[in-house]
Amino acid sequence: MSATEQCVTTIQKEKQLATLSPNGHTENGHNDTEDDTAFTVGTTNDNCRRTSMRDRRSSVYDDNALREKDTDSIHNDRLKSMTSFYKDILISVGEDPSREGLLKTPKRAAEAMLFFTKGYEQCIGDVVNDAIFEEDCEDMVIVKDIDIFSLCEHHLVPFFGKVAVGYLPKKKVIGLSKIARIVEVYSRRLQVQERLTRQIAEAIQEAVEPRGVAVIVECVHMCMVMRGAQKVNSRTTTSSMIGVFRDEHKTREEFLSLAKI
Amino acid sequence: MSYDPSRSTKSLTSSLQDNNGDTDQNTNENRKHSVLDEKALREDDTLFIRDQRVLKISRNYQSILESIGEDPLRQGLLKTPNRAAEALVFFTKGYEQSIRDVVSDAIFDEDCENMVVVKEIDMYSLCEHHMVPFFGKVSVGYLPNKRVLGLSKIARIVEVFSRRLQVQERLTRQIAEAIAEAIKPRGVAVIVECLHMCMIMRGAQKVNSRTTTSAMLGVFREDPKSREEFLSLARITPF
Repeated sequence: MSATEQCVTTIQKEKQLATLSPNGHTENGHNDTEDDTAFTVGTTNDNCRRTSMRDRRSSVYDDNALREKDTDSIHNDRLKSMTSFYKDILISVGEDPSREGLLKTPKRAAEAMLFFTKGYEQCIGDVVNDAIFEEDCEDMVIVKDIDIFSLCEHHLVPFFGKVAVGYLPKKKVIGLSKIARIVEVYSRRLQVQERLTRQIAEAIQEAVEPRGVAVIVECVHMCMVMRGAQKVNSRTTTSSMIGVFRDEHKTREEFLSLAKI
Repeated sequence: MSYDPSRSTKSLTSSLQDNNGDTDQNTNENRKHSVLDEKALREDDTLFIRDQRVLKISRNYQSILESIGEDPLRQGLLKTPNRAAEALVFFTKGYEQSIRDVVSDAIFDEDCENMVVVKEIDMYSLCEHHMVPFFGKVSVGYLPNKRVLGLSKIARIVEVFSRRLQVQERLTRQIAEAIAEAIKPRGVAVIVECLHMCMIMRGAQKVNSRTTTSAMLGVFREDPKSREEFLSLARITPF
């Protein structure tokens, strides 16, 4: 199968899954790629996993955060119901929830879980908050060693590590802490590292419209360290290269050597 | 000066509360409770009971996913309740074994009177206050009194006590007491150094902080030179 044919198959398979928003939720009618071959392949050496930006129509800015509209009372309702679920879990595990150390654990665990998923409460538009500035800068901007903490959506167990983000501005720059905030909003959710990486890159791409964005995420997955394969020293690295970082290997190389995770 | 474990056991009240050493107000003299023979909470589980537990926990996780605001029917989350339940049962598998079974007569008469140190044992546990992992390293040392313990049994003792809902202080003490009771040495020393996700990922959010606890029994408590020797041999390198 030629590279092009392989890419077509991949696009077709992606379309067979329901149309997904960046959160992985089913949306209605946002994806209007009628023609299976209407996509942009990157460099000829790109493999099929790097599908085109054009297939994802929904805007990262307009993406609704799942708990964005929560009022205080809705939040408290969530807390209350989760507290009773955690209490049941303690009993099912074999423990005694009325012993001193566990008395308030259901509530604390529920609050912790809501905190670990607080990324659902904010949308990117609010986070970036117009901190985008006209600047005559055309050299690479890199923010690295951003600590991230996320929850594996498959096992509900933490994974954590570092993120390095770089972009080549085209007359517009973004406030530096907004990059860290974008990372925070996407990481404080039930996540898959691959999707997290892509979402961060796409958010910056959409906010600043640079010549290219590069994101590298390197994490330790507790679901792999504490259980399952139990490989204590293993780390998972994912990356997302958009625009000139995908097309030009020297630019990519410069980013990789500066970002040096 | 010889260490006598019967002087450091607490009075037996067979309620579940005490099984985890929770009533810390009891002094050492009142403790007659044997760590080796303490009944593990899930020791009598059959396969069927275990499956029932996993089923109940996964139903709760399904509801938790809904309460978070997520859609448990989306592809990535379809089997998550079951996986998360299996994971939690695995993280608490320390409740399924008693120490007596773990130690399993791997106690040998040996003419050894010099310090034995097993250090930097990786350890993963769950904070009982937030049900969030904490993990790190354990170093164990003891001065034998004609009897030694199989080395991997020390690691297994750490494993059984850590795979539970724990508090780092209690975990440290339990490891020390188990070894003391098993081989009745002249002294036992345990150091545990951990990262607590409940403190790093939430709350105070102090990324680099580590918590160290220790338990010194017998000659390690009384003789500062022995303690010093242990601390220099058992140093836990940054991780």
